[in-house]
Order: sequence, then C-alpha cells, then structure tokens
Amino acid sequence: MRLTLAAAALVRHRTRTLLAILGVAVSAALLLDMVMLAGGMRESFGDLLMVRGYQLRLAPKGTLPFDSEATIAGAAELVAALRARPDIAAVSPVLGGQLHVLAAGAGDAAGTAPPRAVTFALGIEPAVQGDYERTGGADVARADQVVANDAFLRAARAQVGDTIDVAAGFDPQLRAYAARRRVAIVGTARFFYMPAGQAAVALPLATLQGLRGPEGHDRVSLLMARVRDGADVEAVRAAIERTQPRVSAISTATALAQVEQRLSYFRQLAFVLGAISLVIGFLLVTTLVTVSVNERVGEIAVLRAIGVSRLHVVQQIVIEGAALSLTGAALGLALGLVTARYLNAILADFPGLPAAFEFFVFQPAAAWRALGLLVLSGIAAGVYPSWRAASLPIAGTLREEAVG
Amino acid sequence: MHSLLPTLRSALAASLLALAPLPAAAQGVAPVVVEQGRVTPLSRAGALRTIAVDERLQRDAGLRLRDTVVLAATSAAERRAAPEDTVVVGAFVRRGADPAEIARGEYRVRLHLDQLQRLAGYDNRVDRFAVATRGDDATARALTAVNDAAFGFRAYRSTDVAVKTSRTFQVVRRFHRAIGVITVVASAAFLLCILLLKIDERRRDVAALRLMGISRRTVVSALVLEASMVALLGSAMGLGIGWAASRVVNAYYQGVYRTPLLFALVTPEVATFAVGLSLVLGVLAGLAAAVRLARTAPLELFGR
Repeated sequence: MRLTLAAAALVRHRTRTLLAILGVAVSAALLLDMVMLAGGMRESFGDLLMVRGYQLRLAPKGTLPFDSEATIAGAAELVAALRARPDIAAVSPVLGGQLHVLAAGAGDAAGTAPPRAVTFALGIEPAVQGDYERTGGADVARADQVVANDAFLRAARAQVGDTIDVAAGFDPQLRAYAARRRVAIVGTARFFYMPAGQAAVALPLATLQGLRGPEGHDRVSLLMARVRDGADVEAVRAAIERTQPRVSAISTATALAQVEQRLSYFRQLAFVLGAISLVIGFLLVTTLVTVSVNERVGEIAVLRAIGVSRLHVVQQIVIEGAALSLTGAALGLALGLVTARYLNAILADFPGLPAAFEFFVFQPAAAWRALGLLVLSGIAAGVYPSWRAASLPIAGTLREEAVG
Repeated sequence: MHSLLPTLRSALAASLLALAPLPAAAQGVAPVVVEQGRVTPLSRAGALRTIAVDERLQRDAGLRLRDTVVLAATSAAERRAAPEDTVVVGAFVRRGADPAEIARGEYRVRLHLDQLQRLAGYDNRVDRFAVATRGDDATARALTAVNDAAFGFRAYRSTDVAVKTSRTFQVVRRFHRAIGVITVVASAAFLLCILLLKIDERRRDVAALRLMGISRRTVVSALVLEASMVALLGSAMGLGIGWAASRVVNAYYQGVYRTPLLFALVTPEVATFAVGLSLVLGVLAGLAAAVRLARTAPLELFGR
C-alpha cells in the first residue's frame, strides 16, 4: 500500500520526477567520480610501486628516481653491501639512458646516418629486475640481447628476432656515434613505469654501462630493494641512509606521501566537488519532497481522517524520497563509471606519467559508502516534511483545503 | 642543446638537496645549496659578487639584502674537492605566474653564468641560448640555418617550447572543462526542476486569473517573466558566490604553491555563459509549465 501510494505520487508528476532523477543521477555520478579520484591516485601509485614487491628505491642523494640524469658511482660495491644485509631479500640495480637505434649494417660505415629511432634504455639484471613484465618471446639472457616494448618496435620498424645496432651517444664535433653495439631483440615487454607511447628497451646492466663508456662505468641510476618479511621497512630505509651517504632511500610510503603532496590539488578538488554533489542531491530531493508534500496536505489529511497512522504517512513520503535517490544513484553508478573512464583518458595525457597509472580507480567499498550516503541523504530529506505533514491538525487542514 | 640540461643537473649532483634544508635552483637550471644558516658573516673587504634570490627562499631562510651566503654544489661528503662561492644577496626576485613551475618546490637563485659554471664544474658550457631575432621571417631563417648547420644541436621557437612545457596545464584545462560540463548538466537539471515546481505552485493563482478573464497569453507571459526573473536573480547571486569562491580558491592555492598564478577566474565569458544558460533554462522551464497550466481548465486547477 505504501509503495503503491508512493509510486502513484511520483508518476503523477512525471516530468518533475524524471528531472529529479536526472539531477540525482548526475550528482551521484560526480560524487562517485570524485570518490574514485580521491583514493584512486594513491591506490594506483601504490600498486605500481609494489608491482614487484620492492619497498625501497635508492636514488643519488637528494634526487628522486630518474628525476635527473645523476647516477650513483661505485654501484657494484653498493649492491654487494646491500645484499650482505640480513634484512634485505633482493636488490635490483637499474641504469637508465638514451640509445640511438641504427639500422644494422645499413651502409653507414662512417656511422653518421641519422638514427632510426631514439629510445629509453634500462640496464637491468634480468634475475632481479622489477621494471617490466615480458609479454612475448624470451627474456634477456646474454649480453647482446634486449627486450623491447611495442612503442619501440613501431618506432624502430623492428620485430622480435631482428638484429639492430645501438649507440649510446653522438659526438656532434666528430659527427660520429660514440659507442656502437649490435644486439638482438629477443622478446617484448610491458614496462611498468614508462609513459604511454615511450619507446623502451631493457638490456643487461653491464652492456648499457659499457655502451655509456666512462660515464656509465660501474654506475647505476637507481637501486630497488626488497626488505625481508618481518623487517621494518622504515628502519631499513633509515639504516641505509645512515650507512650509505651517497644515496637517498625512499620507501613506498614516503613516495606515496610525496605524490599525494604533488597531486594534492586533485584530492582537494575531489573532496570539494564530492561534497557539492552530495549537497545538490540532498537539496534536490528535499525540495521535491517538500513541494510534493505541500501540494498533498489535503490528501494526507484525508488519509489521517480515515484512520491511516502518522507513521504510515511518514513512511509513504520517505519511500518517495528514497525511490528518487535510489533510482538516481543506480543511474549515477553507471554514468559515473563511464565518465570516470573519459576523465581518466584526459588525465592520462599528463606528460611523463606511467601508462599504468590510473587517476580513477573503482574501489567498491568507497563507492558503496558514497552512494549509500547519497541514498541516506535522500531518505533524510523526506523525514522532516513528511513528519510535518503528518502532524497537521486533521480537521483544520481538511476545512482549509475544502474551502480553499 | 636541449639534452645538455640534465647533464648540468647531474653534474651538480643534487645530493646537496639533502645536505642543507634549502635546496635551490640557480638561474632556473641547476640545484645548488644556499647554506645561509651555517655561514659566519664575512667581512666585505674583498669585492664579493652578488646574487638574486627568489622570494620563497628569502622568506624561508630569513635572508636580508647584503647578507653573505655560501653557494656550494656538492654534498658535505664531497665538499673537499668542490668549489664554494661566498656571495652577497643583492636582490630579491618575484617569480612570474608560470604554470609549468607550480608543482616545483625548489628555490631559485640567479647568479652570473661563469659563477655557476665554476660551481658545477661545467667548464665553458651552457644549457641553452636564447636568441632574439628581428621579426618572424628572421626567426624562420635563423631556425633553419641553425638546424641545418649544426647536427647535434636543435633550435626551437619560444612559442613551441612554451606549448610543450604547458602540456600539463592543457591536460588540467581539459579535465576542468569536462568536470564543468558534468556540473552544468547537474545544475541544469536542478534548475529546471526548481522552476517547474515554482510555476506549479501557482496553480490557484493561474486559475483565479483565468476565471477573472485574463487571457492565456498574458498568464503565460507573466509566468515566463517570473521564471526569468528568478533565473536572473539566482544567476546574479551565483555569480557573487562564484566570485567570492574564486577569491578563496586563489588565496588558498597561491598560499599552497606560493605563486602569483590565478587559479580561478570569473571572466566576462564565464559570467555571460552562466547567466545566459540560467536564463534560457528559466524561460524554457517557465514556458513549459506555464503553457500546461494555462491550458488546464481553471476549475481543475482549483482541484474541483
């Protein structure tokens, strides 16, 4: 009976009901998007950093990983010292740099032809690398082998199995490539930290160090360390910084805090817009229910006069508000997921951002909480006007409505 | 030419950033450390050179004009081999409203080119040259000449560099625009709903007017006018709130990022769009509801 009456009241004013549902749906979509944005960056970046379980990054003192071209000298000794620590399970050294990709033996004996492509190269130790996952072919096993991503294969017009010449630098005075080496592409890979469209290859650390000459000798750009189970990551980080003055050790928690600080604008925007959407949804339902109740005071008085309880009347009106909010929230959920994909695609264009980084991440618990809050606010919106209507003096209201 | 920039950065080994609490970037290029807190004031017997310091560093380090500071480009561990330079703070510099620098927390000092080259151990090298040309044609000719003549170097138009460095903000702008569209749709639905309700509340008035012999046309015009007035007044209030909110937003983010950049701006275009949209929606909603009411029999409107 309550449901029937509530449905009848909503159907009576179709346009108004549809507009209210649309308004609530858009508010719910915005609220959902903002909830996804607020927690998504942290979640996504945390996942990205922990993709291979390395909790610590060691960069040249005072820098962030790959924030500059600074490198750490004496890498072998440092790696050995870290590996000797009982609280560290694995250490992965990484050297980054640019490589010129030349056509293998393509008739430029002088080595002056423009490169076919320029790529970012990572020198890694395959057994402990934490920068890519192989998507095809084989992994790097020998000094003259590389794995490449799809962007590289497109840019260099190469495929798995091809042999290419690479060089680490070009001397403009001599007009010659500084170092040159022939390597074979043995597999394809997805690099976790590369921006979309960035050509990248991975090759053995020693090979890249050799290609870079004295500038790369026994140097690395970054070290990743995995702390043993049970060890306190922050304590290990502090101990490394204390004993290794050449490096800055950054834990995942610190990196997350830094990213949050840099992207705090988006979190604040999410909070403000989320709050506004909630208020708009609440106001919309409140206004609609209030007006709807004011229009029906006569009808409510009749219901009360024929013995319908006050609680029954309140429930019927609250159901109206809840129905509007629930329908709007359900539509908003679908709309929010679609708009989140669109907004994420816009923000994915941020220069230098890893392709795997997501701004909008659907976290079910947070999403249900937000939409639940919206529905609750819709229910709350109906309580006051309904109680007021149900408390009106029956005889007086009937007389007033009858006489007009 | 462009690729030299990181080389200079690495030469300066930003390990210094952790050495003292005041990392800075010199001339927009290289991080160095201004160890104001550690320096014993020196006599100015010798002719010390001057540097310019940005306002952030001035405030955070409590620097004053003619303070003597030491610039160093390496960490304490490597200090012995590295040069230091004792200089006098000769000027304070206000940062421009550059969006590309907004998230960068580093400090800046400006010093003479040869000073920085010596500090960085960078010999007679530079990161880039800025070249002034005489007109667009000359720019195009110079660009072609440099790029054809010097393999390994590359010349860019300043406007192209500006476009590249402001890509982050193009993305943010597109994001804001998309969010704006969503909020406009939500607001439009809200506005339409409210105005429909507002007109619907006038059922009895409309019935009375119609029974008195007032024409449908007059009734509809009056209701549309009323809806338009509500929309106009509402949008005027909204503009006021928006203006106040933009002041709060600017004050907050200018403080957070320590920049004179304006983050929110109520421009005439924005105001016109907001008022125009409210007015159009108001008229449409008013017209739809008024026509419906005017067509309904007066007694029915009275509920008889």
